Amino acid sequence: MKELRMILKKEFIHIFRDRITLLLVLAMPVALVLLFGFTISTDIHNARIAVLDHSKDSQSQAFIQKLSSSNYFQIVSYPNTETEIDFQFKENNIKLAIVIPHNFESQLEKEHNTTIQVIDDVSDLNIASILNNYVRSVVLDFQNEYNESITHGEPFSITTKMEYNSNMESVYMFVPGIITLIMILVTALMSSITLAREKETGTMRMLFITPVKKIYVVIGKVIPYMIISFISTIVIIVISVFVFKMPLNGSIFFLLLLCIIFMLTAASFGMLISTISTTQLDAMMITMMGLFLPTVLLSGFLFPLNSMPMVFQVLANIFPAKWFILAIKDVMIKGSGFFDVWPYLTILFGMAVIFISISLKMLDKRN
Amino acid sequence: MEALSVQKVNKVYDKTVQALQDITFEIREGELFGLVGPDGAGKSTLFNILTTLLLPDSGEIRILGMDLINDYKLVRQEIGYLPGTFSLYPDLSVKENLDFFAVMYKSNIEENMDLIRPIWRQIEPFSKRKAGKLSGGMKQKLALCCALIHRPRILFLDEPTTGVDPVSRKEFWEILQTIKTQGITVLVSTPYMDEATLCDRIALIQNGKILGIDTPQSIIQHFKGTLYTFRSADIFSLLKALEDCPLQCNYYPYGEYCHIAFYEDMETAMPQFLQFLEEQGQEHGEIKPIQPSIEDCFIEIVKMHRHE
Amino acid sequence: MNSIEVDHLTKKFGDFVAVNEISFQVREGEIFGFLGANGAGKTTAIKMMSGLLQPTSGKAIVAGYDVTTQAKLIKRNIGYMSQRFSLYNDLTVFENMQLFGTIYKIPRTELKQRIMDSLAALELTKQANLLVNSIPLGWKQKLAFATAILHKPKIVFLDEPTSGVDPIVRREFWNLIYQTASTGVTILVTTHYMDEAEYCHRISIMADGNIRLLGTPEELKQQVGVSTINDVFVEYVKH
Repeated sequence: MKELRMILKKEFIHIFRDRITLLLVLAMPVALVLLFGFTISTDIHNARIAVLDHSKDSQSQAFIQKLSSSNYFQIVSYPNTETEIDFQFKENNIKLAIVIPHNFESQLEKEHNTTIQVIDDVSDLNIASILNNYVRSVVLDFQNEYNESITHGEPFSITTKMEYNSNMESVYMFVPGIITLIMILVTALMSSITLAREKETGTMRMLFITPVKKIYVVIGKVIPYMIISFISTIVIIVISVFVFKMPLNGSIFFLLLLCIIFMLTAASFGMLISTISTTQLDAMMITMMGLFLPTVLLSGFLFPLNSMPMVFQVLANIFPAKWFILAIKDVMIKGSGFFDVWPYLTILFGMAVIFISISLKMLDKRN
Repeated sequence: MEALSVQKVNKVYDKTVQALQDITFEIREGELFGLVGPDGAGKSTLFNILTTLLLPDSGEIRILGMDLINDYKLVRQEIGYLPGTFSLYPDLSVKENLDFFAVMYKSNIEENMDLIRPIWRQIEPFSKRKAGKLSGGMKQKLALCCALIHRPRILFLDEPTTGVDPVSRKEFWEILQTIKTQGITVLVSTPYMDEATLCDRIALIQNGKILGIDTPQSIIQHFKGTLYTFRSADIFSLLKALEDCPLQCNYYPYGEYCHIAFYEDMETAMPQFLQFLEEQGQEHGEIKPIQPSIEDCFIEIVKMHRHE
Repeated sequence: MNSIEVDHLTKKFGDFVAVNEISFQVREGEIFGFLGANGAGKTTAIKMMSGLLQPTSGKAIVAGYDVTTQAKLIKRNIGYMSQRFSLYNDLTVFENMQLFGTIYKIPRTELKQRIMDSLAALELTKQANLLVNSIPLGWKQKLAFATAILHKPKIVFLDEPTSGVDPIVRREFWNLIYQTASTGVTILVTTHYMDEAEYCHRISIMADGNIRLLGTPEELKQQVGVSTINDVFVEYVKH
């Protein structure tokens, strides 16, 4: 164990003496999350929408007032029928339509419950989901004010119903995506590069002719970068929750556990890469092409998987990122717990075990 | 007892490059054994095999009674290795590097200080400096300390003096002699023929083959030709002229002199040679017989192998 | 005529004086041995002479050009070969020579002929299309030398060209140096083999940034009163 402690110490010295890399590794997640967060959430102002008011009572007017007074929307038309809405969509005149049901006011008063229908333009999923969230926030505002205005009586809720886009993709999809990228960059890339560096400088040989156990060398390489990427992950989550008001419905501890398992998978993949590469450049190229690129393209983070050709959908299964993103989405957005996502966890953990065993075998080869 | 026994070791790279061919030799305990040969002779491959980093294709190796191929984990505790290129952590300080390798060998610095003290004393003033910022000589001394920190029974040194100036080389060999007095068996490789005479025994190696193993004195005694040395005002015109020499001989520049080894009966050959030089109009100093050096022996042996 | 004239050439890195006011001249066609301990300042001096490094003070005229103001012209008129970097391992012998020939702007029409002539002189014509990493070190060094003189430079700097090479190839290499020098090319060579120092017309021995000794091998041995250059070296470069 003393050897492992020493290897860890040495590894941290490498990390802290290489200031530029350390700074890059720590600043990158913040930069990425801010970049994605702001480009996605602030670009849309005064989106053109249509409102079909079936009710035409004082509450529906108040709601419409609320919509138009928000910065998000510009109500460009008040159609009278659903067909008119369809027409507006086809003309590309509007991005979203809201349908207020009949008897809006009376439903609110008597049943404390009503349903507002939101119709999206699915041609741009990202924008659609952002707008949906804006509608939600307006509805929430409206609802809060209404609750305050009646001093007694039960609170009510408004359900929005989405059309055109029934399996609603959250705007917050970018957060799990960024966490994935950061973890891969920091753990897989950094650990594979530093191991390859030891090959280049010859220190690997010096290490391997000592009687030290190989598993210590591997663990010693992996743990420091897992710690760093763990810190980054916490930073990302904090920024997402406090700056971008991302919902965090599942348990934070379970979420972090999930991240740790994924880091282990990413790091073990990094190990595997470094065993087959002889230079840092090799390690970097292989990590980029073999892990980072597939993660960006095939994890469902930027491009929806189910709209890809079958080959890619199948191929996506062998990369850990897909499973992690499925799991983290469920945990963050749906609030799923261990019993919902354990199959994903098992796959990730299994991958880690396989990668590490292959790496150890490869490192033990003497040729 | 033999500290190291290498029997018929072969290694082929990429199915075509024969890096080592039937390498066989033994090193006695406490011996300072030299592996002498140029770059690319197969010395580094042999070191990689002996330090358990590479498996030979065939052959048997025993180190201190252990089977190197199967008991390699035990072997590692008993050997020290100084590779040909600087292989310590450049961003760790001198002391941090030493501490690190001490722990890797489950050893501690205090226990073996007496062994490394003479070397350590020279680098101790720089113990806080990063290893990458040391001068070449200092780097090497640090690497040697790291290789000795667990008091190995056999020390392997791969070309420790290549590219090193003559003064530092001399110093380094003095250090090797003191290591030897500590009872450590030393296997050292070098491309410098003059260093060979400082070894107890040497193996001449070229193109993956051992051309001869013996004490330096004995190798010199077995020089086949009769060696002469002489000066010339213009050595390169002399060498050019010698191309037409009808005698069985081997000639080459040797510092300021020309060395020529004859494979003839000198009674008749020398007058012929003198006549030849005169015919060629070559002025020359006194032609003296001379005791061959290891370099002369190496040249003779390599040329003979070329003719075979 | 002198092809290198160095006058009080100095290089400081901060407080550290790497090269301290060295002065010497090298004649055209001379083989000049540039000896010294590791870290004595040889490499820094060579870098300044080849126009890669600006001197802190002093002057050097190399091939008729001033190193401080005409570095570009110097680079075009010198050849350089080092044991560390010489040829690209993943290119063939021919491709390497073609590459360097093109860098030095040898006319395309002439380049191929020059390469073939130079390979023929080394008796390596058959190896033209082999990858450099597949040929023995001795050949590599000879090829690196041939490449360094392909553009017919007036001066060639050789930095430890024979390090690690076997005794026979070392002698063949020196033969090449002599042939080249006899055509009027000036050679400045560093080596740690003291027998090679004896092959030089003149040698200088550097220590701690200063030139301690300069002269023909014979003069130096007499001056110090020893019988070999190795002894001269050891006497003057004690640590």
